[in-house]
Amino acid sequence: MALAITGSAMRTALGGTAETFTALLAGKSGRQPLGYVNPDQVNVRYGYHVDAVEEERPYRASAWLAECVAEAARQAGLDGARERIVVIVGTGLRELRAVERWRADGLPVEPHALHFAGAVRDTLPGVTEVVTVSNACSASSHALALAADLIRLDEADAVVACGADAMTESMLAMIGRVGDESSDAVRPFDADRRGVLLGDGAAAVVLRSVPDSEAEVRLRGVGMSCDAYHETAPDPEGLRAAMADAYQRAGLRPADVGLVLAHGTGTALNDPTEARVLAGLFADVRRPPLVTAIKGAIGHTSGSAGLMSLLVAVEALRHGTVPPVTGLRMPIAEAAPLDLVIGRPARTGAHVAQVNAFGFGGVNAVCLVEVRHDR
Amino acid sequence: MTADGVLIEAAAVHVPAVAPGLLIASDTTPACGPDEAHGLLGRKGLLFKEPAVRLAMCAVHKALGLPPGRPTGPVPGAAGTAVVVSSNLGNVATVCDIVDQVRAGGLRGVSPMQAPNASSNIIASSIAIRYGFTGPNLMVCSGATGGLDAVRLGALLVRGGRTRRAVVVGAEPGDAVAAALRSAAGLPPGPPEGIAACVVLTAADRPGVRLRSVRRHSAPEPVPADAGPVVRLSGADAPSADLAGVLASGYGATGVLQTALAARWLADPADRPAGVGDATEAAVTCGSADDGFATGRLSRHRGRR
Repeated sequence: MALAITGSAMRTALGGTAETFTALLAGKSGRQPLGYVNPDQVNVRYGYHVDAVEEERPYRASAWLAECVAEAARQAGLDGARERIVVIVGTGLRELRAVERWRADGLPVEPHALHFAGAVRDTLPGVTEVVTVSNACSASSHALALAADLIRLDEADAVVACGADAMTESMLAMIGRVGDESSDAVRPFDADRRGVLLGDGAAAVVLRSVPDSEAEVRLRGVGMSCDAYHETAPDPEGLRAAMADAYQRAGLRPADVGLVLAHGTGTALNDPTEARVLAGLFADVRRPPLVTAIKGAIGHTSGSAGLMSLLVAVEALRHGTVPPVTGLRMPIAEAAPLDLVIGRPARTGAHVAQVNAFGFGGVNAVCLVEVRHDR
Repeated sequence: MTADGVLIEAAAVHVPAVAPGLLIASDTTPACGPDEAHGLLGRKGLLFKEPAVRLAMCAVHKALGLPPGRPTGPVPGAAGTAVVVSSNLGNVATVCDIVDQVRAGGLRGVSPMQAPNASSNIIASSIAIRYGFTGPNLMVCSGATGGLDAVRLGALLVRGGRTRRAVVVGAEPGDAVAAALRSAAGLPPGPPEGIAACVVLTAADRPGVRLRSVRRHSAPEPVPADAGPVVRLSGADAPSADLAGVLASGYGATGVLQTALAARWLADPADRPAGVGDATEAAVTCGSADDGFATGRLSRHRGRR
């Protein structure tokens, strides 16, 4: 039996999964002027919004999540009445925006809507077990790791692993405060990168155990680690530990991987550290994998980022085409050994991709996913 | 979840402003408040740490049986140890403080040292950094069932071979913002100086108190009438009204607090407060009408199995 992804959906600044992938291939960016929050007050001028044209609706992340869960569940044919279904929602920011608007704008707040159980239960009647895991920028990848374990230990028939995040004023303020200058775009691995910007969105995948022959998209393994080192600075040892854990669980070697979806935040600290660790991982591989990243096009979507990268990886392997890193022109020196996709899409015949997600607090999760195709 | 393979190796509670004997009868030292946490944790590294982080660390410190003061390096067995924390209100004060300053036009007054606190997983990562725990690190924000959700995930990490030991913590602060948020939403006020508890889970390879199962329900699960002597803990079912009040208001910490209390009471008669008799099993329930309910079952095993 294999762990298979049998349904999935996402919502980004560029649209659903198919629209996002098409836009990525074209090198488009979902960047917009920052909505909802006064740019001068937070020193951030741009965001990668799902919708910033109307007045701010409360609990937006929950709404996008509900759409994604409904679509993924429909594709997978989930039956809440007959199956043991668990839903794990990974998020960086929960619905803390509602707390901010309660505090600053006097709007009502419902503590039970700060997490995502209500939104999921309304979408999947009959499902009682919904857990919100708030694991910063790698939350949805952690959700996927837990999903895999629940299926493997036969504690669930199907698990929906999700990500959901709407940007908060407090996190925007910290980005605007910590950076020397206000970033104008996310440029992963670029020598001229000026820091991170946030994106909105949600993603959901349904994981099941199926006979090997029926698994088109197979989750080979998810590794987890914690740096136990520093709140905001990544530690190469922790990154390596999560990767080693993923390969060990998957029974794969770096030489088996043809594509890497990097975390690539466009920050001073992440990109050189991640590039060095990847260069080391593939140093002895004769044909190193293509490396791309999506935050230049959809922003840093916080806890949703890992699953969004995973779904883009699946599309890329399915179509044999890897989108370029939006915003990348001249790579940093540390990335010189990497086969970064720059400027235009690259062809690939690969079956297996590695997907990185690293979060505040040194929480790391690395996924290995395999797509069956006949090319 | 069935969790026959999981042992509760250690358990501690840390609830300032509540008489310690009310929770663990043998406990005579009052739990320090978040502002006095340096007495247990040492002064270094506490600057800019929120109340919930400090209380959570106090509970971990006690559960691990560490001497007062900051560990100078990773504690014994730290490598690969997992951390799972439940809290809902842990960082709402920081979030509101930042927004207050932003709206007043004072972004430069926001300290970059606050940045990590804007992320909800600050409690779990702070514990990992202080004690050197490099295993999987999870922050659960699931409302009123969060405490038992965290216990369940901790057991999953042990059973799934992700870690040899999981440090599971529940913590909620008693700060003014948390209190105002509870009040605005009609939730009961929490303990005035906050609440924390910790259980340490490992593989069940020796006698002791085991976590048997954690299940989620849409309504509280009844305990079968023929179950024999069972320690029961829920918002409505507790040995004293004072303790019931603590359990009813512990929010994301409640499930871990209940698990910690039940483990200590099952294991040692000296830890049982008045009204708690001898039993070999316990059933603990946390939750709310909005969030749903979770029930954990524990049992004491003297033999090898």
